[in-house]
Amino acid sequence: MAKETCPHVWAMTHVVPGFIVTEKCSLTGQIVTYMSFEASPPLQQWRDGEHLWNVIETAQSIRFDLVCATCGREVPYDELLGLMLCTGCDEACRVNRLQRQLAPQRTWVYVAYGYRPVEEKKQLTPEKIAILETYFNQRRQSARSQIRIVSHELVSDIGKCYAEVIKDVELTDLQTG
Amino acid sequence: MELQKIIDALELQTLTEMEDRTVSGVYISDMLSDVMANAQPDSIWLTVQTHKNIVSAANLVDIAAVVVVHGKTVPPDTIDLANRFHVIILSSPHPSYALAGRLVELGLQP
Repeated sequence: MAKETCPHVWAMTHVVPGFIVTEKCSLTGQIVTYMSFEASPPLQQWRDGEHLWNVIETAQSIRFDLVCATCGREVPYDELLGLMLCTGCDEACRVNRLQRQLAPQRTWVYVAYGYRPVEEKKQLTPEKIAILETYFNQRRQSARSQIRIVSHELVSDIGKCYAEVIKDVELTDLQTG
Repeated sequence: MELQKIIDALELQTLTEMEDRTVSGVYISDMLSDVMANAQPDSIWLTVQTHKNIVSAANLVDIAAVVVVHGKTVPPDTIDLANRFHVIILSSPHPSYALAGRLVELGLQP
């Protein structure tokens, strides 16, 4: 089927585990994020021009692409750092307002966030976000609930956002029972 | 298979509000990224993880219920978040391997 007319049925492909690395410059305060595919996450402090970078967090996650099972079209998601569930921490945030609006319909809002600094890194296009949303809704086998995925641009202050990020960090339960 | 039947047969403790769900499979993993990539909808997810972001992962892929194994304590904020998003969290003192065996006996084949 021609890719232009195909009613795509999406699947995950090229799934690669890696580490989401967050670094902060101790000289300028700038924060950057990227994904590392090395066996162990980077830990060392390093200098890059005017910056002195220190790792402040690493988290295991995955990188993936989507592929249409019908026509074979592939959509890469190099720009996607992760997905996070809106928990309604900020009354004024547009994402929160959307979540409150959609909650009665059991439509849950996730934010697709890209790498930082946002102004320097390529970010997800609206089309890619829409395809991602379609994929996760196609994956559900009932209409009991739906997923809405939005851009991080709708978040009022990403630095203060308390959305629940899907990543493997801070999961250690120190309790024994 | 109805979730309530599984709860009764395995003597699982219900930690959140309940609703009728039909379970079609089982997924065992302690990595959220793995669940996001591979878990099937309407599955029961067995895990030792109790952090709030298990709700985020379970919700994204429409897990039927999360079973926290090994008697791990689920914090109140995880339960509160789960209730907000209608994610069912159950608890068992048994390890995943034992529960998996019981689930197979009940009819949830791998």
